[in-house]
Amino acid sequence: MEWKDIISVLAGGLVILVVALVVKPALYPGPEDPSIPGAAPPAYLPPAAVPAATPYPEDGPAYTRTFRWTSIDGGVHTTEVRVPEALFLEHRATPRFSDRLAYGRYALAEADQPILKDLARRIAPPTGNPEEEYYRLMNIVFFVQQIPYEYDNSTDSYIEGVLPRYARHAGVDVEYQKYPVEMLVDGKGDCEDASILMAGLIDALGYDTVLLRYRGDGLTPGHMALGIRMDEFNPYYAKYTPRYFEYEGKHYYYVEGTGYLTFATGNRTSWGKPYPIGDADGTGLEVVKSRRPEISPLRYLPTPAEYRIRPAGLPAGGG
Amino acid sequence: MDIQIPKLPALPRLPAIAVSRRQALIAAGAAVAVIAAAFIGWTLFTEHAKEQQVATFANHIAASESDLSRVYEKISAHMRSVPKNPAPAGADASMRELAAIGDYGRAVTAYHRQVIGADTVPEAYTGAQSAYIRALDNLNRAFSLWSSAAAAYDIKEYTAATDTLKRADEAWREYAAAIADYERELRAAEAGETPPPA
Repeated sequence: MEWKDIISVLAGGLVILVVALVVKPALYPGPEDPSIPGAAPPAYLPPAAVPAATPYPEDGPAYTRTFRWTSIDGGVHTTEVRVPEALFLEHRATPRFSDRLAYGRYALAEADQPILKDLARRIAPPTGNPEEEYYRLMNIVFFVQQIPYEYDNSTDSYIEGVLPRYARHAGVDVEYQKYPVEMLVDGKGDCEDASILMAGLIDALGYDTVLLRYRGDGLTPGHMALGIRMDEFNPYYAKYTPRYFEYEGKHYYYVEGTGYLTFATGNRTSWGKPYPIGDADGTGLEVVKSRRPEISPLRYLPTPAEYRIRPAGLPAGGG
Repeated sequence: MDIQIPKLPALPRLPAIAVSRRQALIAAGAAVAVIAAAFIGWTLFTEHAKEQQVATFANHIAASESDLSRVYEKISAHMRSVPKNPAPAGADASMRELAAIGDYGRAVTAYHRQVIGADTVPEAYTGAQSAYIRALDNLNRAFSLWSSAAAAYDIKEYTAATDTLKRADEAWREYAAAIADYERELRAAEAGETPPPA
């Protein structure tokens, strides 16, 4: 064997090394290309825009209702409410929410807001005096309390004289939550409807409210009332201990939505006064006295508590 | 009849091997050199292949992290803009945005899970790889639950939406735990040690 043979062998080895270390990595689908064949890296797609609701025409057919009511100073007022027929019929043709946590959506229905704001302004005209705020609030409360009570299972509760299409039957009971303008047009409703209407009106004044739901059972009927947020409410003249419920660190005082205290003279009920704020026992309802309500906020937006992306370290030699 | 065996032709004589000691040493040296070159070449090749695998894995993790940081930009911008006590229209818009981010996050995590799952990595890195894949799977589940919560909210099933977001929070915490596992596995792989128990 000559030296030239050894050189040939070494050259062959070198070729193998070059192929292994240079040619093969060049042909290998390198680390610079992390893509999947046939798949593009995902991109963000923003949510589609929602078209704005068409306002109801001012001059279209409408229901006009006149409410004769007493304010807390004893004055008797007449207030007219006009509800577009199309809005009322649209509500009637809308399925009800099955989740009670969503009931605030009735009170804050966007299409009802102009009517509620206008009505709230007329029942409780704005004043520059902060001390009169309480009276404004109480006039709204008293206005709603004076709307006649009617059970959902009574056809008298509806202007059509029949149960609405989306009334939900549960045994002999019927559940149908009314949008605020439905209660105004029908001119009557039950505790849920009154609480929803009152919530819509008080919200229009800028107050923070929640719905208080008392779950009933076979023996004790359930109930719904309103909770109004107040930092402290303990008037010296109150002959009761104002009851409030805590929700997300805030105090919501009980407000009854149906009925009011009446005073009879002989055989005739001559006048009345509203159930005051915080007077839960005055209603005489057993379920209110003995149970703690479930609280549904009017405005509800669930958010994730965990959402932070943790940065991960890269293996050495990586990008 | 007699069988006659034909005469075989005479075999050619093999040349006599006449190798000197010097030639024998050179031949042995060449053989050793070839074997050494092959061994060194193979070792270099396998080391290089492992480095390539780690580099590929690292680049895929980097690409995933880069895309996830883009997702997080969307999330943090969204969380900063979440209104307090919003009107229904504002709340609805916020939930639609959450659904869109959920869909985006789900697509990003599914894509990178497929890429990183297909990586061949050295044995020392398999723990880190599987921990990272687990992290992406949990994140994918969390984003899917965000989209489901938004869908439940859209049909006004608020209780279901809230419960679904709680499950998303759990999945997110499992993602964070998987990332911690990944970091530990990675440190152990790079130090050439067995990772400590979680």
